[in-house]
Amino acid sequence: MVTVRLFGMTKMLAGNQGALSLALPDGRRVKDLVAVIEAAYPKIGELLQKKKVLVSVNQDIAHEDLEVRDGDEIALLPPFAGGNS
Amino acid sequence: MSLEQVTKADQPVTGDEAMLVRVQREDFSIDEELRRVRARSKRIGGIAIFLGTARDRSKGKDVDGITFEHYEGMAQKKLREIRERALKDFGIIELLILHRYGEIGIGDNIVLIIAGAEHRAEAFQACKWAIDELKQITPIWKLEHTPEGEVWVEEHP
Repeated sequence: MVTVRLFGMTKMLAGNQGALSLALPDGRRVKDLVAVIEAAYPKIGELLQKKKVLVSVNQDIAHEDLEVRDGDEIALLPPFAGGNS
Repeated sequence: MSLEQVTKADQPVTGDEAMLVRVQREDFSIDEELRRVRARSKRIGGIAIFLGTARDRSKGKDVDGITFEHYEGMAQKKLREIRERALKDFGIIELLILHRYGEIGIGDNIVLIIAGAEHRAEAFQACKWAIDELKQITPIWKLEHTPEGEVWVEEHP
């Protein structure tokens, strides 16, 4: 199982859960994780497909081929909107 | 603390450097933060300040308030990266970046950037670059409260 932290609109689309615990039965790369999320949360999956939501692993934006390891800090990042100028 | 340690964005810093990059719920005093930057060096001769505040309109719609959410740890890391790149690339003496999170009332402070340099040109350039970069790479999200409901803001303003 891996834990995926959610923020902003991804949290809202997952019923206001702050994190998801997901099993990765078919591979441990970021793209396998994305496939599991797409199946369980199609609206988040759509945003991931459009690259409007990015996956971070250990606080860096992750490539789809990156392997996810136990204990990694994984998050889904919607478009940033800090600053407000 | 060695110079090497404080130039690595991956490592949380302590002491004076930690106060120069903060993500916090509470409001800040511009005077106090300005004093903090000025105290860093007597070589500073030009200071540029950017202050972002909460406005009551967004894309033609009324806004009653804003909530900012951030990714604790990664947000601070990205702001430290911005400070370090600004110090290196613009030849400035100091850069302070603060961003608030939580509920922000209309007219209240959101973000503060203070760039201190020997001369005004570098201070202005670094300050503008830092706020633009903050919007691009810092995991902070904005929820606008409107009379019609709440909206997560997607685009960079």
